[in-house]
Amino acid sequence: MTIKETIGMTLAAGAATVAVAQTDSATLEKALETLKTYDWGADREALKPIDQAIIATHDDAAARKALEKSLVEVLAGGISRSAQDYVCRKLRVVGTAAQSVKALAALLADEETSHIARYALERIPGEKATKAMREALPKVNSKLKPGIIGSLGVRRDKKSIPVISKLLGDSDIEVANAAAQSLGLIGTSAAAKELSKFAKKASANMKISVADARLVCAEQLLADGKKSEAAAMYKELKDDDQPSHVKAAAMKGILTAAIKK
Amino acid sequence: MTNQKSKPTKDRGGSHGRRTFLKAAAATVTLPYLIPAAAMGRGSNTAPSNRIVMAGIGIGNMGRGDLGSFLGRDDVQYVAVCDVRKDVRDGAMNRVNEKYSTNDCKAYNDFREIMVRDDIDAVHCATPDHWHAIIVIESCRHGKDIYCQKPETKTLREGKLMIDAARRYSRVVSGGSQRVLEDYRKTVDPCWNGDKGIIKSVNVNVGPLPMDCNKKGEEIPNGFDWDRWLGPAPWAPYHRHRCSGSYSIDGTSWRSFRDYSGGGMTDWGAHHFGGATFAIDVRELEPEEVIFHNENGRKFATCRYPNGKLLHHNYPDRGNLEVEGTNEKGPSKPVPSYAGSGGIYGDFIDCVKTRRRPFRDIKYAVHTATVCHLFLIAYELERSLKWDTEKQQFIDDDEANRLVDVARREPWVI
Repeated sequence: MTIKETIGMTLAAGAATVAVAQTDSATLEKALETLKTYDWGADREALKPIDQAIIATHDDAAARKALEKSLVEVLAGGISRSAQDYVCRKLRVVGTAAQSVKALAALLADEETSHIARYALERIPGEKATKAMREALPKVNSKLKPGIIGSLGVRRDKKSIPVISKLLGDSDIEVANAAAQSLGLIGTSAAAKELSKFAKKASANMKISVADARLVCAEQLLADGKKSEAAAMYKELKDDDQPSHVKAAAMKGILTAAIKK
Repeated sequence: MTNQKSKPTKDRGGSHGRRTFLKAAAATVTLPYLIPAAAMGRGSNTAPSNRIVMAGIGIGNMGRGDLGSFLGRDDVQYVAVCDVRKDVRDGAMNRVNEKYSTNDCKAYNDFREIMVRDDIDAVHCATPDHWHAIIVIESCRHGKDIYCQKPETKTLREGKLMIDAARRYSRVVSGGSQRVLEDYRKTVDPCWNGDKGIIKSVNVNVGPLPMDCNKKGEEIPNGFDWDRWLGPAPWAPYHRHRCSGSYSIDGTSWRSFRDYSGGGMTDWGAHHFGGATFAIDVRELEPEEVIFHNENGRKFATCRYPNGKLLHHNYPDRGNLEVEGTNEKGPSKPVPSYAGSGGIYGDFIDCVKTRRRPFRDIKYAVHTATVCHLFLIAYELERSLKWDTEKQQFIDDDEANRLVDVARREPWVI
């Protein structure tokens, strides 16, 4: 069933919202067709029916599914970077594990598309999107690794801890810093353990990022009710050879942990 | 990108140095605020060793003005400037060096080289909005205070991260917008004086919403690090309108475009919503609901605060900053103001010295920006949304939650 047919059926069934009624399916079809030749410099207004269809299909699962399917098909069909950029932005809102993740995952290893694929994947709920990024991480080059590591950190993916931890010692400082930051964001006991272990051997140019990651991690542990683990982490930082503002932050953390109920 | 360490150009340490003091202060648990040695040099003719040592990041347009305001103070010593445009950073460096008749001020393309300089106490940031969170957080991590231009955040998620970083390291972090205190007194004073009685609502008319940019590439000017200008934003070809720092919001400046700004909603919204939330005294709060209205195609929206006060955007037939109150005389309370002298810049510098929170403390600044983002998302999705202020998530709306943040282009992570 094409998007035109699906939306047409929805309209005929009278189940659509007022907004759906305002969306002309032929116009939408035309906009989707436009994407195939769309490039930098083209009139962005030509794609507006797609924007409107996203709003209109919010409460209409069948029409939304058809719209997503059409976007994924266009993405997989070989389009310009500008068109890929547009489609990924839309899949950020309407993409699902069932239909979009595979097509987006295919873009992760390409320097031109890796970020815009994450632009959608990072925000699509569910394990499938996380897994796609986790599995891509060892396969992408050092330039792309920090982005994927960061997205996994934002999603607080516990399963990524082993692979990210190994990257703490990466020779590329961007990769190593991203690994530290993401472990801090993940903020579990296992992440804390890895950060503490690495801190003992961290090079001077990673000192601040690792210390900050440990503080962020401790805050997350505290928020999750793991008072003693957070306090231990703060104490380690206070006793380490750290810049004064880090030691002060650790002291503050110790006090916060002590009075937290 | 490099991550090299620059050696401090100027030793402000010694037995009375800031770092030594911090070390001692940490040991004696004088928390949460720590006083830099520069605080000892208040007043006129401040000895160079006791001045607040500053750097400017993003020093075209608004940043040029900020630099001028800080540079004019005798309790500030500039030592570094940073911009991705070589002509801009060299011009700023020369301006500083001429002012001091020295060659001490250095120019950088990568702000991280400023971060690792231990001699710098504070920075100001006037980059496009998509860089703000990264630079504010990185400044806090490196123990630096920061004055960040408005709108401080580009996404909802960034706000909490910025507040957390400021509080974690007990940094003085001031947002921008001198207008909040200075320009809207006709609205603010009657509210604080009690003349408006019990306040029900205030309306703000700002816009437009941000647009997407699909402009065709042009040749990148010499000396312009385009990749670094884009930073965490999606890659796009260079176009002069994409990155122009002009104040227009008509598609000829970065302020117009979604990847770098929230359009007029955040650019002017930072001023007007800042003034509105100050007037009705909800700066400490975040809205818990944004109600989207579509009356015969006329779209407007309302944020509702936990205390019941309403903040309208483009409410029909209401003027900008029009306050609705019961109008019987109520209790009066003093209007908060800046510390120190020299407006919002003096407020920041005074707070760096005293370790007090500035008038536009990052929490208030973020809350203003949060209002803007809540409106933007409601307009984008064309529906009402409930906002969980604790979890920083929308309630029962998966789709809206996808818009709470954006994935950043490598290597940037927050």
